[in-house]
Amino acid sequence: MKKQINSCPNQTEKLKLVSMLANKAIMAIKNGTIKKRNLVWLELTGCSGNIISLLDAANPGFKNLATQMVNIIFDNSLMVAEGQAAMEKLFAITADDYILVVEGAIASKDNGLYNIIGQFNGQPITAYRAINELGPKASYVIAMGACASDGGISAGRPNPSGSLSVQSILNRKVIKLPGCPCHPDWLTGTLSYILLYGQPELDNKDRPTMFYSTLIHDVCPRRPYFDQGIFAEKLGDKSCMFKIGCRGPVTPVDCPVRKWNQHVNWPIGDDSPCIGCAQFGFPDRMEPFISYNTTREV
Amino acid sequence: MSEQHFYDKDFNKTINDINDTIDNLYLTEDCYEKNKLLNNLRKQIANITMMMQNNQNYSKNNIEPVTQNDPRVFTPEELSTYTGKNGNPAYVAVNGVVYDMTNVAAWGGATHFGLTPGKDLSGVFASCHDGQPILSTLPVVGVMAP
Amino acid sequence: MSERLVINPVTRISGFLEIDATVEDNIVTDTHTKGLLFRGFEKMLTGRSPFDAVYFTQRICGICSSAHAMASTMALEDAMDIEVSDQGKYLRDIIHGCEYLQNHIRHFYQYTLPDYVAMPQNNTLFIAKQTDLRLPKIKNDLLVQHYFDSLDISRSAHEMLAVLGGKAPHNHGVFIGGITTQATKEKISRLFSLLHNITEFIDSKMVPDTQTVAQYYQDYFEMGKGYGNFLSYGCFNNYSQLGTLYLNPFIYHDGIKQVLDPERITENIATSWYTDQTETYAPNETIAEPDIAKSQAYSWVKAPRYNGLPYESGPLARMWLSGEYRHGISAMDRTIARVLEAKKIAAIIKVLLSNLIPGTDVQQVYSVPSTAFGKGLIDTTRGALGHWLKIENQLISFYQIIAPTTWNLSTRTEDNLPGPGEKALIGTQITDPSNPVELGRIIRSFDPCISCATHIYQSGNLINSIQIVS
Repeated sequence: MKKQINSCPNQTEKLKLVSMLANKAIMAIKNGTIKKRNLVWLELTGCSGNIISLLDAANPGFKNLATQMVNIIFDNSLMVAEGQAAMEKLFAITADDYILVVEGAIASKDNGLYNIIGQFNGQPITAYRAINELGPKASYVIAMGACASDGGISAGRPNPSGSLSVQSILNRKVIKLPGCPCHPDWLTGTLSYILLYGQPELDNKDRPTMFYSTLIHDVCPRRPYFDQGIFAEKLGDKSCMFKIGCRGPVTPVDCPVRKWNQHVNWPIGDDSPCIGCAQFGFPDRMEPFISYNTTREV
Repeated sequence: MSEQHFYDKDFNKTINDINDTIDNLYLTEDCYEKNKLLNNLRKQIANITMMMQNNQNYSKNNIEPVTQNDPRVFTPEELSTYTGKNGNPAYVAVNGVVYDMTNVAAWGGATHFGLTPGKDLSGVFASCHDGQPILSTLPVVGVMAP
Repeated sequence: MSERLVINPVTRISGFLEIDATVEDNIVTDTHTKGLLFRGFEKMLTGRSPFDAVYFTQRICGICSSAHAMASTMALEDAMDIEVSDQGKYLRDIIHGCEYLQNHIRHFYQYTLPDYVAMPQNNTLFIAKQTDLRLPKIKNDLLVQHYFDSLDISRSAHEMLAVLGGKAPHNHGVFIGGITTQATKEKISRLFSLLHNITEFIDSKMVPDTQTVAQYYQDYFEMGKGYGNFLSYGCFNNYSQLGTLYLNPFIYHDGIKQVLDPERITENIATSWYTDQTETYAPNETIAEPDIAKSQAYSWVKAPRYNGLPYESGPLARMWLSGEYRHGISAMDRTIARVLEAKKIAAIIKVLLSNLIPGTDVQQVYSVPSTAFGKGLIDTTRGALGHWLKIENQLISFYQIIAPTTWNLSTRTEDNLPGPGEKALIGTQITDPSNPVELGRIIRSFDPCISCATHIYQSGNLINSIQIVS
């Protein structure tokens, strides 16, 4: 058999990783060696973009996830039940084992009334109350996306809703998957690993090292341009986006290899700078996103 | 001379680490383990790049005794014009030394985590990069007026 | 006998919504629709770089982010006096069109269908006491199958978007002048092939599935009418070579279609938790300050008006104004119009793709004026979206957003006229007040997106309401 020699191991192994973990988990569930687990998906103070990103998942896709890997108990965007019945499902699960995925920050201003996720027995349930009731009892808490991980856009200056990250409310281990939105693979890979082996290896900011360990800049296909000082003057140029304001050198995540939406493209591939959406401090500390008047040569 | 010695020692150690990682890559079948090893490899390569930059800047600073003996002196007002914008280089002062950040990767668009050049950033530098060997990799352009 | 029905959360929408309805003798006599999320983007945008508005405002909404990229880009172009080339317009309208497809497919299959189809009860996501299900088993099973099949199709609409936009949600492509990158021959042929599959799915599954639902739920052609006032800012229009492929800005009122005059748009905060020197203002005048203690306010949804009247916007409004669909105005007509619009948008994208000149670079180096004003009005997936911005000292000094859902689920002004969504619910006959499935079906036909209506806020004052037990 002819061996494939034209593929970079860094690329192929990275892309194989998520489907490998998911297939392993699905097989193990079929064989009965591990159990399907309950999943509660809380959309809180944010744009509900992470559940949309999850619907864009492939290998495993959303169907694999929802039918073969976990029992999704609650998700505002997709569940069939509504009103009181939906909230009953949410609170009934606290007696059982469940993994909690949170997207969005938690509005804290005015007793959290800026974000009410439902009404339970006549009481409005704020995002703040929901995270406090569901966070401590969950077997794992995964903060998905920039807002849940670090406040994100919802906490953008001057933070009118008093939005907070999940970790700043919960005094427990919170696995963080920053990104705006979070790439579906980062979530499905982490979840598969949890089903199979428990908590994956995390860095000092609780991000899984399997996705968040290499700076974009270190593997950027446009790195040779940086090294030779060939910088884009405007969007649309094919060289290094450093002078436009690229945050690749401060953002450790695998976008250059994994890319987005069936690995079809990514921001730098689209001739625009990385805006650091997967780094803590996004957006305030990653702005300005686009600058044209940066000094080019001294 | 001793700096050069340390450099060689660290360099050799990292090369050994890389060889170990590659050996392990041959041995492992597991995709997750392979990923971890590949991530390690990336880190080790980044270390080597950093060391090489260190070494270059070290020799540069030593070759230019003018900078050492007669450093350019900046007042805060002077420094404030070096914003990295509209043709001005990006200068930042840390602990009395002025560094040129114009082409430092982490300062894309002449900003870094919401910070802008033309300022003394000793305080934030200490709170974010304490203990990291960063300053020695940066090109020096002068000192702050006492 | 009068009773109060509260549905909260109204699931299967984007964001958080409550329906609070008063029912007498099984007829809805009054309703209030309340959004339950406030983040305050207008305040956040003040002081930021104008260029950053394009990527920043996309984060208003995870399901229709490209819509905000379009409106903010157009507002910036207006402020900076930049003419966009036809190629630039084609490129970004393709991205915008892909967002329509992704939205409409997901809204029909994932959000709407479970209102009419018995979902498999062996999956926890679908467990619910569904009532009033009418499809025969064989048709029901087919639609459930398509619920899952559609996931691949909506995903490939986002894949198309990412080919030109870098990633989705929250793309990097749409920008001043058109898009950031160039469409190579390879990209264009990839887009054609993805589009072909999507079009085939719409024709062979989505349209027939809609017909199936409509056939068994004929009564929904008589429910959820609302005012029958329509408004659109126009979209896929005014190309210098191709003319208008879809719709120019129009309104429809009292059976008469007229050209839209943006100067007649106002916003009102009479029943919203805001105070300002005036309750009614033009979009470029003021950003009202939050005020939780305001009496008579029942929600933080503001109330946009055209000529002082509430207007519906969205797929039915567009299909009606363009004359493509004039069957009727109802909950079922809204759903049908949305599905037929998906077919139309796919055809428009095909035309735009055919007119691309491969490799065209539409980007330049832009500079921000020290003082400027601009507005960007565009019809997006859910309806009319407007961004109004002011620039001072090269920074954003004012930013106003009026989202489609702000129109459709608007609150009331001093005249106490209900918003279009509220109006559509009033008069509805509820078969089983313990499970008022009609309310969700009608309100979902508007495809509400509360994430977009960021001004929205609920007071939190408790009412003694009858809870829905289902």
